[in-house]
Amino acid sequence: MSAKVDLSVTMCGVRFANPFLLSSSPVSNSAEMVEQAYEHGWAGVCTKTLNSGSIPIIHPSPRMAGYDYEAKREVGLQNVEQISDRPLKDNLADFRYLKKKYPDRPIIASIMGFSNDEWAFLAKAAADNGADMLELNFSCPHMTVEGSGHKVGQAFALCERFTETVKKSVRIPVLAKMTPNITDMTEPAIFSKKGGADGISAVNTFRGISSIGLDDLVPLPNVFGVGAMSGYSGSAIKPIALHFIAEMAQCPELGLPLSAMGGIETWVDALEYLLVGATTVQATTGVIKYGYRIVEDMIEGLTDFCEAKGIRRAADLVGKALPNLKTTDHFDLARQGIARYDLDQCVGCGQCYIVCRDAGGQALEWEAKRRRPKLVEEKCLSCMICSFICPVPSLISFREMPKDFRRKPTRVMDEGMIGSVKLPPGGAT
Amino acid sequence: MRVTGRFTTMEKGFGLVQALAEAERCLLCHDAPCSKGCPAETDPATFIRKLRLRNVKGAIRTIKTNNSLGGACGVLCPTARLCEKQCSATGIVRPIAIGKIQRFLVEHAWQIGFEPLSRGPARTEKIAVVGSGPAGLSCAAELAKDGFAVSVFEERSEPGGVIRWGVPAYRFDKAFLSNELATIEKLGVTFVCNTRIDGAAGAKRLLADGFSAVFLGPGLWAAERLPGAEKVKGVRTSVEFLAALRGKGIGALAKELDGKTVAVIGGGSVAMDCVESALKLGAKDAYLVYRRSFAQMPAEEDERLAALRLGVHFLVLNQPVKYLADGKGKLKGLRLVRTRLGKPDASGRRKPGPVKGSEWVLDCTAAIEAIGNTADAADWSALVKMDEDGLVVANGKTRKTSARAVRSPAQGRVFAGGDIVRGPALVVEAVQDGKLAARAIRAALEGEVTA
Repeated sequence: MSAKVDLSVTMCGVRFANPFLLSSSPVSNSAEMVEQAYEHGWAGVCTKTLNSGSIPIIHPSPRMAGYDYEAKREVGLQNVEQISDRPLKDNLADFRYLKKKYPDRPIIASIMGFSNDEWAFLAKAAADNGADMLELNFSCPHMTVEGSGHKVGQAFALCERFTETVKKSVRIPVLAKMTPNITDMTEPAIFSKKGGADGISAVNTFRGISSIGLDDLVPLPNVFGVGAMSGYSGSAIKPIALHFIAEMAQCPELGLPLSAMGGIETWVDALEYLLVGATTVQATTGVIKYGYRIVEDMIEGLTDFCEAKGIRRAADLVGKALPNLKTTDHFDLARQGIARYDLDQCVGCGQCYIVCRDAGGQALEWEAKRRRPKLVEEKCLSCMICSFICPVPSLISFREMPKDFRRKPTRVMDEGMIGSVKLPPGGAT
Repeated sequence: MRVTGRFTTMEKGFGLVQALAEAERCLLCHDAPCSKGCPAETDPATFIRKLRLRNVKGAIRTIKTNNSLGGACGVLCPTARLCEKQCSATGIVRPIAIGKIQRFLVEHAWQIGFEPLSRGPARTEKIAVVGSGPAGLSCAAELAKDGFAVSVFEERSEPGGVIRWGVPAYRFDKAFLSNELATIEKLGVTFVCNTRIDGAAGAKRLLADGFSAVFLGPGLWAAERLPGAEKVKGVRTSVEFLAALRGKGIGALAKELDGKTVAVIGGGSVAMDCVESALKLGAKDAYLVYRRSFAQMPAEEDERLAALRLGVHFLVLNQPVKYLADGKGKLKGLRLVRTRLGKPDASGRRKPGPVKGSEWVLDCTAAIEAIGNTADAADWSALVKMDEDGLVVANGKTRKTSARAVRSPAQGRVFAGGDIVRGPALVVEAVQDGKLAARAIRAALEGEVTA
């Protein structure tokens, strides 16, 4: 690693040694845990959502279930975890401990109130005990009380009101944490901004049902015979979360710094969030899967990437992909291409043939004896399905065709029937 | 040395997690080469796909439907030169462990009590199967699925043939075989043990007794011998040795070999089984004597390497000359001569010739000859055509023999398969013989024209 690359970022005036933070979750439950995380290199923490003691917090048991894909374990995670079940004083004492021992690692205190007063109380309590920033939890996906958790994030006026309340109570920067269980995240984000939010963090977990027990027909986690729609996270949600971040980053009316999360496990995941406009990134499910140590690979990987690209400050990466992210009407449809096969690498499985036949343009012929596909160029749709079904990643690539390239129309089974086709009068307008 | 569980039971196979992880590596080929590579048409491409798509029972159904000895084949097949040989995944990392997946699925079926095979609507015709080895078992199971009343005649005390009496238990144990047999018994197959059908006369008697067809699958239970072997105490055939391992004689055998030096003669899979067994039973040194080179051995590569790893001493390019006995006629050594490879012989392999003056004596108190199995004394030639090697001649597609309907139409329905037709062959090939013969028997009885 080179000292030439500066990974530090500044968000809402608070400096972080790198963009990698623990998100508010079981992995940031106590100072004992956070201290371990710091030792691995996490730059800061968003602590597990504080509980004022106004309602008793009891976690369901069991509280999590993994979502597997084929033999791959836990590509997603389902949880019915509640906010912190620790007494407020314990949590705040831990803030003090961390700030004393690690003064340069910012604490973002996640809070959730059930009333205006409670929001104000928690905000002040956190700020008075060392929190550098607040994150307002408008997004816990399995709250059932109206006016709490994701019900706030879905009732935009409440986002504004509670943010306003908090901002009146404290001087430290305030992030509003969004739920993804809506259509357009820019709306609640803008309401939060109107309430005074200094930044947005997103996304909380998606409401999901990751699996159902086939013996007892109870969705998981099975809490003594009962399942519930609850928070789904992990690498499976990354593409959707990434789009929410990009959408907010591209919204000129919002214009706030973003702290992003959703399926971040590697430096590549983190980098992609930076590229679509996040200043910091947060992780939990990746840590649940691999432990705090993953940050070492994030730091090393991002540093090497920056070095290879000649980028001296990671902060310069923020939003760098946004100019290339447009709406589909910007595509140049005059330019067309097809798949290119490097058959020297082919292992002869023929999956390309199957997918092209069943889901593509029937552009492949199969040479049975040689066990090799043969591309009929003018039938290739350039869907590129074959390229990502192929077990050899670099075998099939995309190449642009000359301007005069014409694709063969999809076959009509009986052209004689075209004459007898009935259309409603007038045509489509 | 005590005969331990490690000698009498197989190593554990894959569990569900391992099987799924392996299935996940499968490239799900179009026109899959693995399926083409299976002599018994077990269709691994389909059962692996089914496993991958969580259709576990369907995967078991595919195996069992195609191969009533799917478990035995999963364990015993030399997969590296059959299904796994052309596996496309070899080009990525390594072939899919098809045999292990197959074994898992069969064992999983037993574990969850799933039995996809059932007896078809009962038919009146009775069929006799001679020999309860893989060929006979496969034929019997197929016919029972079709509803025929099948009786399997077995000379020994328990069914299984070569997979009961001709292979060490650490490779294929009794519990596993019992599970395979239970499936076949549940189909309604009757086993008549301790009953030898002694050649053509015996088979004709079965036909006279009302059996509508006979399948001959007696296997090869006699052994080639070296000159003078019978006269020396302590020299055994592989057939005797392996059968003793699987019977009551194992204790005495272990006692006899304990701490001694054993020479095993031969280079095939059976020789490997014998030499490994001798070592595992407590022999101090076990030598494998083979007149050709290591690369020329007919044994599978993994078997050869396993024997090497176990500590077997390979004496390649060494040819037995004479057994040496003490005053009481007990083996005390084996005179060997070194060989040198010359020009290729009829088999295309370079032929070994003795090196003059290189004779030497390997001191040993036990020797096992594993140089080839032959048909035993049963003579089938009064009923069916046999070749010069003493093997029964049968049609390649139907396994029908030359037996003609002289006295009764039934006499025209004599089929044969397994080692008695092929010579020493694989379990999976015997399974296919049984399947083909069963198909042809049904067709014959339904009055269809067969080849």
